[in-house]
Amino acid sequence: MSDSDSKNKEQDSWFEKRGNIRMMIGALVVACIGLGLADLFYKNDHAHFDIEKSFAFQAWFGFVVFVVIVFLGIALRPIIKRDEDYYDR
Amino acid sequence: MIDSLKHLPPGWIMMVGALLLPALGRRASAFGALVLSLLSVGMFCVTPAGEWGQLNLFGNVLNLVRIDRLSFIFGLIFHLAAVMASIYALHVQDTKQHIAAMIYAGGAIAAACAGDFVTLFVFWELTALSSVVLVWATGTDRSYRSGMRYLIVQVLSGVLLLSGALLHLNDTGSLAFNHLAGEGSSVFDLSVGAKLILLAFGIKAAFPLLHNWLQDAYPEATATGTVFLSAFTTKLAIYSLARGFAGTEELIYIGCAMTLFPIVFAVIENDLRRVLAYSLNNQLGFMVVGIGIGTELAINGAAAHAFCHIVYKALLFMSMGAVLHRVGTTKATELGGLHKSMPWTTTFCLIGAGSISGFPLLSGFISKSMIITAAGEEHLFWVWIVLLIASAGVMEHSGIKIPFFAFFAHDSGKRVKEAPTNMLVAMSMAAILCIGLGIFYPLLYGLLPTEPMAMHHGHAEPYQPYTVAHVVTMLQLLLFAVLAFVFLMTTRLYPAEMRSTNLDTDWFYRKPLPWLIGGLGSGIARLDSAIRNEFIDCGKSVIKKMAGGFGETGLLSRTWATNTMAFWAAMLLGVFLLIYYS
Repeated sequence: MSDSDSKNKEQDSWFEKRGNIRMMIGALVVACIGLGLADLFYKNDHAHFDIEKSFAFQAWFGFVVFVVIVFLGIALRPIIKRDEDYYDR
Repeated sequence: MIDSLKHLPPGWIMMVGALLLPALGRRASAFGALVLSLLSVGMFCVTPAGEWGQLNLFGNVLNLVRIDRLSFIFGLIFHLAAVMASIYALHVQDTKQHIAAMIYAGGAIAAACAGDFVTLFVFWELTALSSVVLVWATGTDRSYRSGMRYLIVQVLSGVLLLSGALLHLNDTGSLAFNHLAGEGSSVFDLSVGAKLILLAFGIKAAFPLLHNWLQDAYPEATATGTVFLSAFTTKLAIYSLARGFAGTEELIYIGCAMTLFPIVFAVIENDLRRVLAYSLNNQLGFMVVGIGIGTELAINGAAAHAFCHIVYKALLFMSMGAVLHRVGTTKATELGGLHKSMPWTTTFCLIGAGSISGFPLLSGFISKSMIITAAGEEHLFWVWIVLLIASAGVMEHSGIKIPFFAFFAHDSGKRVKEAPTNMLVAMSMAAILCIGLGIFYPLLYGLLPTEPMAMHHGHAEPYQPYTVAHVVTMLQLLLFAVLAFVFLMTTRLYPAEMRSTNLDTDWFYRKPLPWLIGGLGSGIARLDSAIRNEFIDCGKSVIKKMAGGFGETGLLSRTWATNTMAFWAAMLLGVFLLIYYS
């Protein structure tokens, strides 16, 4: 292990260690699976629309909407992006 | 004595006291501002409900103060925000900022407690004039120009408000600030005066296309100034809309647009304080939707959301202000890894991010869900869907982007000191409030305009935010949104932060409008010069001709023979005689 590698290792915080990042992602996946399955164990008697009662509606909806929002942002960037000093010229 | 003190108009202690701050000197004026805020909140809590402070203006009765449940909840949260922001700004040794902040906060409180349109107008404009100082205080040319644009828009809003109020007075004979909706629930049923007032409120509430003063000016203000700015101006507009236009149908759709468009802009914005400004706009949308729906639950939801929003938005702006204070920038491209050197600020930012996203046990959850439920109760399916989309959007820009790119992501290598103690104290107060409101929500519900009731199987019962369905579905939405973020990051599909200026509606008045006005101006100047040159040339040629006529060889200066004159005199007399006798 080189000096610079060991220095970087020393500087890594808990949140930067690969193992911890993997663990956090794993915990998130487990939580998501658990939340999806949770729909099987309760009855939503406060639902106002039928779609609310469908299995894990807000789960897939949240995922899809998030991805769509980010892609819309990516699509918008070429249209509205200018240099940082655009208004200062 | 105590009784007369109780009837001091709310906010006036801060406004009048602000004028005495210069006497304290640069160091002590910050503490003076905090004392004023604390005194004012103490007085406000013992101020009785009711209307007083009647004045007669040209035969019209003005009500300086009207305190009911709606104005009380806004007055209270404005006070709490002023106290937190004053603590946050204790290290600032710039007296003019403290004076401006106190006049601004006091003006907003006085406006929220105004019983008539003229009083509202006076404090409406005072908030504009005082708050711009917080933008200018940055001291750069950029902040000066941004502040000027901000001031023009804000003053225009006030002028529209006064014009609308005068037309309203002409129509109804009253200046009282009450509900203004017409016979129907549409904007088209409103009188011209009421429409102008709505437009004035809409500018200050940052309606779509009228919004960009917010994203333009707030990120240009000082680190502490933005915290004050985030609390008052727009929420005063929300209060005014709730007071005057509850149940106006178009507000639902305006609010929906407000929740949606900022979330896309926020994805690609590099300046994290500007991301927060877009986020603020999106949150205002939730409140405007609630006001548009107009049912008791929806209005309660809007008021509760304004209350919670002021706290968590102030917390988020405080955390970014602390970063600005220590690092000197809030551009995502320059940040990252700050959790190592600013762990407390990171923690507080995460609490603010969780609150705005609507995680259970935090404040956003107990207020936003009320508005979403109100949309459901009215069977507004697409509005309900839009609010869910907007909730996922909030998670993206405020829940993830702000804390991730500032404090985690790639390590920028910047090692700075933790935020100053006063900033940490203010942030901890806001964080405690975020958690406290999420857990002890009945305390907030007890302050709402009416007891929040929800329909369940056809009958009304007290609104419960913590049902299994609410908690599970909201967690599904939020955690799957986080999962989507992880997916996009690991697949490198998430857009990299870039140094850039992103165009928004301000482009129209920052680029083509000056060009048009400049072009028009130079066109007029050219036309004017052409006309004047033509006149001068004409004059010159007349003078030249006259000079020619009177010159040595000119017709008029020639020497004529006496017989010529006698001939023409005889000729003229002959002609005269002929005409006379004919």
